[in-house]
Amino acid sequence: MSINEKFTAIRKGLLEFLVLRIIAGGKVYAADILNQLGATEFATQEGTLYPLLSKMRREELVDYEWKESEAGPPRKYYKLTAKGTEQLRETSEYWDKISATVKGLGQESGN
Amino acid sequence: MNKVITINLNGNAYQLEEDGYESLRSYLETAARRLEGNPDKGEIIADIEQAIADKFRAILGVNKTVVITKEVTAVIVEMGPVEGDSAEKQNAGASSQKTTGSAEKSNSADGVSGDGVPGTTRRLYRIYPEGAMLRGVCNGLAAYLNIDVTLVRIGFVLLTYFWGTGVLLYILLAVIVPQAITASEKSAATGMGAATAQEFIRRAKAGYYEGMKTFHDKQAHREWKRKFKQEMRGWKHGFQREMQENAHQWQQNWAQSCGQHPRFWVGMGFTLLVLKWVKLLCFVFGIYAVYSLVTHGRVFSVPLPAGIPVWIGVVFVVMIYQFLTWPIKALRHSLYYQRQCGYGPWLAGPFSGLVGLGFLVVIVWLLDHYVPQFHEAVQQIPPLLHQAIDTVQHWLERS
Repeated sequence: MSINEKFTAIRKGLLEFLVLRIIAGGKVYAADILNQLGATEFATQEGTLYPLLSKMRREELVDYEWKESEAGPPRKYYKLTAKGTEQLRETSEYWDKISATVKGLGQESGN
Repeated sequence: MNKVITINLNGNAYQLEEDGYESLRSYLETAARRLEGNPDKGEIIADIEQAIADKFRAILGVNKTVVITKEVTAVIVEMGPVEGDSAEKQNAGASSQKTTGSAEKSNSADGVSGDGVPGTTRRLYRIYPEGAMLRGVCNGLAAYLNIDVTLVRIGFVLLTYFWGTGVLLYILLAVIVPQAITASEKSAATGMGAATAQEFIRRAKAGYYEGMKTFHDKQAHREWKRKFKQEMRGWKHGFQREMQENAHQWQQNWAQSCGQHPRFWVGMGFTLLVLKWVKLLCFVFGIYAVYSLVTHGRVFSVPLPAGIPVWIGVVFVVMIYQFLTWPIKALRHSLYYQRQCGYGPWLAGPFSGLVGLGFLVVIVWLLDHYVPQFHEAVQQIPPLLHQAIDTVQHWLERS
């Protein structure tokens, strides 16, 4: 089992956190999110992203508005709600704690 | 040879090869099944259809109208399997939403569902920067009137010659008329948005694709071709008739106005000549005033007040010129009217005007080529216009 496979579940669990972060960076539409994720280990596909976005909207973390695009039909542009911003803050804090823990463990008792 | 099937993806019509259609249908069916019980099922399916449509549009072009099976498969792989939310199933199982028609097979022209889709109506926009020289006003106007853009530009130049109105009208339109930015605005500007979904649907409805779909059926293809030709002929005849009616109307008007002025005054010719020279003198002075204003910033040794841009000075000089020459002009026009109709040859009026215009064009051309200062001044005109438009726009926004 490769590292990549071992972390499948973790990557999947982190996806919502990353999408929150991307949307927090400015109004984006689905293809923007896919492009930004595409360059990372978290590359994903429409088949995964769209159900996730709709779930996040149902949980009132994000909201969207229709905007006309320069090429093609109108697009849904996503933005964070107040609840989403709060969630992002909490998750970021939690993530910092986890990664500090991961880094810190074994350092003192290692030698 | 493969059969082609037209499908409706979230309101956009696309043509797929039959096998590609089958795999797309099974992909969307699987997606719908996995999302069963998800309260947002309809919306997610619509989003996915939109994403597929976007990818198809990237594949298609002017010379490529059909998505082949290989491309459909590639798009499906790119999309990835739609993930159902198993946790969602339990609490929202009962409220299953109405399934939207995900992929409608349409074998006949009326099989495409385009309900609630508005027809493309032409609207006036500025088309910029595609093919625009200044702000896209002429470009948009040409598209709106469906005539060559060069004709519109010549029209504006002619208007400028007569009353100076061309420039003012241009600035006014540049400020008032919105710029076409989005795809739907652009298609509304030209009135033929082949790039929009609505247009695809309209064409599919009108049966434009029927002939192509059943290409092996020669009878149907001939029938389609015959209909198309008939339509074109009908359009041509309508246009010719309109032109003839217009010409007839003009002739009648002319005959009427001439009938009202049968008198002819003998001394008129001489008076006209004198007036013409006076006017020419005024014109040369006016041109010189504008020239010296642009190059030296002063008119007949009267300097431009500080803080006033050159272009305002030019407009001011032109206005003064119009004001001063107005009596001469009015007198000349009234005399002309009588002479033309008394003489009979009605071409004389417009002809002399054209000769005068040609003369002006030649002079401007000569100056442009042999007087560097004049050339530089001409080069200044587009930026000056830009500046003028910006200033007016700025002023409007502030007030």
